[in-house]
Amino acid sequence: MAIQETLTWLQDLPLPTQIRESDWMFPTIETVHVFALVLVVGSIITVDLRLLGLTNRDRPFSQLAGEMLPWTWSAFSVAAIAGALMFSSKALTYFANIPFRLKMLCLLLAGMNMLWFHWIGTRHLATWDAATPPPRARFAGAASLLLWSSIVAAGRWIGFTTN
Amino acid sequence: MIEQFCDWLVGTPLSLAFQSADWFVPLVQTVHIIAIAILLVAVYVISFRLVGLTHGPQPLATTMKKSTPWIWTMLCVLLTTGILLTITEPARELLNWAFRLKMLMVLALAGIIALIQWRLRRNPDYWTESAARRIAGRVVGLLVLIIGACIVTAGRWIAYV
Repeated sequence: MAIQETLTWLQDLPLPTQIRESDWMFPTIETVHVFALVLVVGSIITVDLRLLGLTNRDRPFSQLAGEMLPWTWSAFSVAAIAGALMFSSKALTYFANIPFRLKMLCLLLAGMNMLWFHWIGTRHLATWDAATPPPRARFAGAASLLLWSSIVAAGRWIGFTTN
Repeated sequence: MIEQFCDWLVGTPLSLAFQSADWFVPLVQTVHIIAIAILLVAVYVISFRLVGLTHGPQPLATTMKKSTPWIWTMLCVLLTTGILLTITEPARELLNWAFRLKMLMVLALAGIIALIQWRLRRNPDYWTESAARRIAGRVVGLLVLIIGACIVTAGRWIAYV
């Protein structure tokens, strides 16, 4: 009950109300969200494919990851802000939406996978930085590919179940 | 003319089969978005270099050579998934000005990428050889950045106009 009340309070705030009632605000924020998400997913896939040993095999992993991470984090910040604004405009609808919940779950799992890779997967990085990554790193790459593809799929699915 | 074509296409057995599967459009759109994600990051890495915002560890020609198969493969995936979506909902796409604008910009983007590739293949230092070429490279890189963003924008607005 407390959650429902909080969500109702959130979506009745002036900005969420304005987003919901405007003809152009929601599509514009959604466009920013999609554009940022496209850059997040594209940069992460580039790193994942290197982890799987499918691309950029002649480049050290750390070099490629160093080149891509600024893209990932800056685009993710934009996607998160735009996503939060979209959520706030129809908080009750999104909260009850199964694909939205799945998207959040996959996002959480992708974050945990990234943390696991950062702490455990990159152990002895120097020994494989310029070579084929070990199984644990390849596993992290495959899991990330699967989770981010699921995030895109769930995100698209939301559009078909909330209108 | 286009309206008649849409009326015919939407009633074909293939279109009807796609329409009857609830999962078809979301699935194809997901593949479409992942393909544009890979394409856009590949071309943005190159355009950032051309604009002078980043300085990669490899020569630009090497980066372009590695990205080439991905760029053109993803363009093919985008074309294929785009055709599937158009077969499913012809009027939504073909009668929509945002869709038409998107197609024009995709063609422009493909042309500019081909130009950058062609110049780099003939001369790896083409875009840095002189001050004038560096300026031209910045203009071309900026165009790619803007057109890429506009393609995504037009793609999303197909649903709203």
